[in-house]
Amino acid sequence: MDRFTNIKCMLILLCVSGLSLIFQNNLVASDEVPGKKQKHPIALVGGTIHPVSGETIENGTLLFVDGKITAIGASIVFPDSTEKIDVAGKHLYPGLIAANTRLGLVEVAAVRSTRDYAEVGEIKPNVRAESAINPDSELLPVTRANGITLAHTIPMGGLISGTSAVIELDGWTWEDLTLRGPIGLYVNWPNMGSNPGAAGSKKEKELLKKRDADILKIRTAFAQARAYLKAKDAEAGEKVPYHQTDIRWEAMAPVLNKEIPVLLRVSGLKEIQAAVDWAVSEDVYAVLMTGPDVRFATELLKEKNIPVIYMGTLTLPSRRWEPYDTPFTVPLELHRAGVKFCISGPGSPFDAAHERNLPYQAAMAAAFGLPKEEALKSLTLYPAQILGIADRVGSLEIGKDATLIVTDGDPLEIRTQVEREFIRGRKVQLSNRHTRLNEKYKTKYARMK
Amino acid sequence: MGIPSAAVEKAWKPVAELVEASSVTPKFGPFDKLRVQILRIFNSLGRVQSVLIVLLLLFLFPVPGSGQVRPVEGIRDNTPQIHALINGRIVQGPDRIIEKGVVVLRDGIIEAVGSKVELPADARIWDYSGLTLYPGFIESYSQAGLQKDAVKQGNDSVHWNQFVTPENNALKSLKIETKDVEKLRGLGFTSVVVVPVDGVFCGSSALLSLDGRSAKQSVLQTEVAQHILFKRPQTKVRSYPNSQMGVIALIRQTFLDANWYGKAHAAYAESPGVQKRPEINLSLKILASALQKKHAFTFKSDDDLNTLRSLKIIKEFGLSAWLIGSGHEYRQISRLKNTQVSIIIPLNFPEPPPVESPEDAIKVSQQQLNHWDAAPANAYHLHKAGIPFAFTSAELKNPADFRKNVIKTIQHGLPQNAALAALTMVPATILGMDEKLGSIDEGKLAHFLVTDGDIFKTKTAILSAWIDGNHFQISRKPEIDVRGNWAVEFAFPEKINSMKLKLSGEKKVTGVLTHDSLKIKLKKVVLDYQRLMMLVPGDSLGYQGIIRLSGKVEPGKLAGRGSLPDGQSFAWSASRQPESNTDTVNVEKKPNTSPPKNNLQIPIDAYSYHSTPEKMAVIHIKKGTIWTSGPQGILQNADVLIIDGKISRIGENLKTPAGAHVIDATGKHVTPGLIDAHSHAGISGGVNEGTQAVTAEVRIADVINPNDIAFYRQLAGGVTVINQLHGSANPIGGQNSVIKLRWGSDADGLRIKDAIEGIKFALGENVKQSNWGDKFTTRYPQTRMGVEQLIFDRFKAAQDYDLEWKTYNALIKKPGVIPPRRDLELDALVEILNGRRLVHSHSYRQDEILMLLRVAEYFGFTIGTFQHVLEGYKVAEAMAKHGAGASTFSDWWAYKFEVIDAIPFNGAIMHNAGVNVSFNSDSNELSRRMNLEAAKAVKYGGVSETDALNFVTINPARQLRIAHRVGSLEKGKDGDFAVWSGHPLSTLSHCEQTWIEGRKFFDTAKDREMQAAVKKERARLIQKILAADIEKAKN
Repeated sequence: MDRFTNIKCMLILLCVSGLSLIFQNNLVASDEVPGKKQKHPIALVGGTIHPVSGETIENGTLLFVDGKITAIGASIVFPDSTEKIDVAGKHLYPGLIAANTRLGLVEVAAVRSTRDYAEVGEIKPNVRAESAINPDSELLPVTRANGITLAHTIPMGGLISGTSAVIELDGWTWEDLTLRGPIGLYVNWPNMGSNPGAAGSKKEKELLKKRDADILKIRTAFAQARAYLKAKDAEAGEKVPYHQTDIRWEAMAPVLNKEIPVLLRVSGLKEIQAAVDWAVSEDVYAVLMTGPDVRFATELLKEKNIPVIYMGTLTLPSRRWEPYDTPFTVPLELHRAGVKFCISGPGSPFDAAHERNLPYQAAMAAAFGLPKEEALKSLTLYPAQILGIADRVGSLEIGKDATLIVTDGDPLEIRTQVEREFIRGRKVQLSNRHTRLNEKYKTKYARMK
Repeated sequence: MGIPSAAVEKAWKPVAELVEASSVTPKFGPFDKLRVQILRIFNSLGRVQSVLIVLLLLFLFPVPGSGQVRPVEGIRDNTPQIHALINGRIVQGPDRIIEKGVVVLRDGIIEAVGSKVELPADARIWDYSGLTLYPGFIESYSQAGLQKDAVKQGNDSVHWNQFVTPENNALKSLKIETKDVEKLRGLGFTSVVVVPVDGVFCGSSALLSLDGRSAKQSVLQTEVAQHILFKRPQTKVRSYPNSQMGVIALIRQTFLDANWYGKAHAAYAESPGVQKRPEINLSLKILASALQKKHAFTFKSDDDLNTLRSLKIIKEFGLSAWLIGSGHEYRQISRLKNTQVSIIIPLNFPEPPPVESPEDAIKVSQQQLNHWDAAPANAYHLHKAGIPFAFTSAELKNPADFRKNVIKTIQHGLPQNAALAALTMVPATILGMDEKLGSIDEGKLAHFLVTDGDIFKTKTAILSAWIDGNHFQISRKPEIDVRGNWAVEFAFPEKINSMKLKLSGEKKVTGVLTHDSLKIKLKKVVLDYQRLMMLVPGDSLGYQGIIRLSGKVEPGKLAGRGSLPDGQSFAWSASRQPESNTDTVNVEKKPNTSPPKNNLQIPIDAYSYHSTPEKMAVIHIKKGTIWTSGPQGILQNADVLIIDGKISRIGENLKTPAGAHVIDATGKHVTPGLIDAHSHAGISGGVNEGTQAVTAEVRIADVINPNDIAFYRQLAGGVTVINQLHGSANPIGGQNSVIKLRWGSDADGLRIKDAIEGIKFALGENVKQSNWGDKFTTRYPQTRMGVEQLIFDRFKAAQDYDLEWKTYNALIKKPGVIPPRRDLELDALVEILNGRRLVHSHSYRQDEILMLLRVAEYFGFTIGTFQHVLEGYKVAEAMAKHGAGASTFSDWWAYKFEVIDAIPFNGAIMHNAGVNVSFNSDSNELSRRMNLEAAKAVKYGGVSETDALNFVTINPARQLRIAHRVGSLEKGKDGDFAVWSGHPLSTLSHCEQTWIEGRKFFDTAKDREMQAAVKKERARLIQKILAADIEKAKN
């Protein structure tokens, strides 16, 4: 096929698919250029360092080399060719981690062609989030402009939705972006039923029937995966034949081997109880992703040592009789009960564009009693620990990635501005679609004067 | 004058007999009076006239066997219809009891009733010794016998809307079956109103005797009332109306149309040659006639709020009406009391909510718990308030529960008399049939029940019903109650031959035989037709197998034969033994001695104030940081004085007036109450009337839900005013409502009376149904081009309509001229054109914003606000020049294609270009933290903190044209404010108090008290349910 034919094909394609394709072409590529790989040591000098894992250091310096933090403190010896950046009066924090998002898998939630977060089917452990991340999504620079450097992106839909990945919000390709994957296997625990008023009704009976069928499907998937892996293991032995590949069960090996957790999406107390029982019976690691009802289950979670991704402080109480501030105070209750938790947004595809407001989810918990340090940890160190990436990120410590932000104040405050951002030592652009349009129209009005 | 013919003589002979034969003071029933009157007239007439009168009388008072149109098949039935029921206890009506009396019936009419009545010589005598007579119950709301296919088809001379079918008539679709009749009769009903229930205007009902004859014969009254279902019609296809406000708008417009229709046709009849013939519309014709003749209307609602809303319509159109209630009336007693409209209430008491497991109990709402507790006392509260009410068995899952539930209402405080009235006289009066039904009185129709005791005891059986003089057996004489202790004698060969027997149980009788320490549990006890059968395990008596006993039951005595396992027969008998004190068999629950209190207030649910918060005459806010949102800016360490709900002074170190309520604001910040210019909170029955492209006639104000917890939660975020908007499903949506969050007020009490009215418009993807799915591709408009044209054309229509009215109003002589038809949709648009209604237009893209500006400019009005207006930053100069406000999201974007260019700098850019900008929520969640939304104007675009707060205070107040009242802390304005724990733009602050006009509607301390109260009340009700469950299980 010569070059001309190629162009002709493209033109035909454009005509056939009409306007929508043209529009999408407009919005696929963000104009921000990914940060350059760190070539020389960088020192951020004279700022207030909030390592999160330790005491705050006033007037401190943080040094990183080849993307890794190499020194933190008051008096640091700078290697040759260190680029010194004066951050006096500024604050240094680890980059924030969005622990529950569809970032990269969706652009405009209402437009079907931009949705890539839910594969068809009910049992699809084999699909993995990272391979479909759009590095040029306009949403990523918008999100990182407010200090969110990492996103835990999770596939959804069905009963077993697939495996998640943690991505850095900067890079040329999805491979560049992926910090680690798989992180966990997302399982939607069915609704356990018994809705008051519906009890005994036909609808409720159907729901319970579906619930039983769904739970059986989840159990069966785990049993079949175990059987498959056992059979494959046995192939090493004598007279055991080869077994054809099942990529679904292959994908579940890290879960069954307890290398990664099951991310258990559960809605209410009954679901929490049932899902925890199930996870214990399956002998897998579990991370609960849930809402305010988790406050009724703190003893159970503490006993079973199950951490929680608390999905949304900024939500309404589920029931009319509940105190108005119920969702705000749950993190405090988890903290008091000694349950390991982090705070995320609600994580729906529509929330992806608004992930930049993540810090205020934790701020509201702080406004309602959670110690501010805990609120900050619930966006940094705790999600890193729960997602199994604390060896790399989550705090400012020597040896960890230089993934951090420089602000003019407390990142929990809306009025605070993020002034600089580094992801694994790379200087990241903070401009985005919004700042570009802002500049463009500022020009319009400047010309009118 | 001449002697009447034989037929006439026979027809009125009973009248003479009644007058002469009755030993009690003669009373004339309505028929009798009429007959005597006719007789007098008859006597004064000539022969020709008298023949006519004879014919007339034949028509009015058919002689048995005559007047039947259908040919007689087989042999005639001429059994005399004269009955004398003697020796019964007669409950004529509430409080009117004849302990032992006589009722005489003749041809279906009560001829005499009294303790001393001479028995007519031709009467059949019924001895009712030991039995009680009650007036027959009236079921005033039923669908018995209605065929479902009553929907109008293919007739285009009726109303355009498929849900407006006043021409439907119960009689037309009635095919009453024996089983329907028997079911109702079994509950004690002797007459029934059959009501059509399809649509909104459902049609007219009929009152029937439950005598099981064809409708032709048993109808007592046709067109009893026109019935309106006050709820959203359930249909598969989306059609107007599909919201509660749409239903109300349709009802309102239809009444207007009916009135107009009558006038238009009258005018046309007067001068037909000079004007256009008005349309013929059967539906409107029927309604116009019903309105003119003051026929009754009924309104059926599914909840108490809709009941109140229907009362407003009744008042608005001056209707003669009654209500069909929901069982939630106890929540609105004071409001129902004021209107004194009669109400028919169902007895569908809720099942106990599932509270056995704590996990399930979490999900049970306070309202469910409350309603379970309060529903049985509903009738009591209505009675106490003097509101006329009747009971209906409609809505009962199991109609057999009807009498049981009536008894339950008595146990919950309703006096028996009132219960009886609610079943008889009250419905008779409501139906205008009080001269014929409702009590056992001379001249009334012979509708009554025969029972074996007090009808309000569960054990009492309704034995028979008399309906129009016909006798119907309902239940057999009940079995003699065998429960209790018996001494049994067996004629056994050689074995034990005397034992004690104890029979007990509720639904099923069980028995135990004892002899000294020997105890034998009977295998089976069956009682049927006064015979008892028992199976006794023979083993412990020395017999291998089962001994069978059977015998006749008589009061105090059992006797019969038994059969040993080997077949050998023997005699046995038993005599009743006195009950020991510990046996509590068959004890009716005593009526509750302390009737339930009705302490439920609006909002009816958790977090309710039991009265409106006390108004503080003087409030002194001391030493706070005061964000005035006014010319004074931010004042440090300043005071505010609020007197009688209005701001009186702002300054430093003000003197505390005597008796002032002092708020120590040291270290705190005080802001004006926040205003959310885009909310959908507190709207019942759908936010969108999204069926038609233009629905300017629907009104949010019709459907305000004062119980919405969103209001309280918003108060907890410092919000005091919200703009309740219609949704964005159509280019011209419904009318909005601006309210203050006076939690605890009813719908009217929330409204800001002097706020200029507004209306919702919408542009772009939503109105062209872009994201509605593939089925929605035909409604005009489907493009932004069409949106412009549609809006333009509607305004042109409004101008034409306005001109029509102006021309008509200018006429000096109006009679004979057809008036213009009042159109509520165009009324609203005319108001916009005249600057008396504000347009709040949902919008996103710059092209559509500019388009609407130009349309408005063409018609010479100013747009109130653009809502969302996420590309407002692209045409800010045009908006500023026009004077339109911008009520935008702080930072939403990318949720659909038309908002791909939305930026958080939007507010700042528009603000800097001179547009009045507010941030809104469009979300009950976001609305609780409007102060933090304002902070985003600082973050994105560097708006000053003072100006940023204005985005949620004075700016939205100006947009809603209520800035003369609220939005800033200035002398003379309403004392609406919030107290914050810290800087109001800080995420780490929270609202501590929220005040409106001198009343504190939110307070963190008070909230904690209420949280505790909610917890306590839930625990109490859950325990009560569990206790009731255990009680039920025992029985």
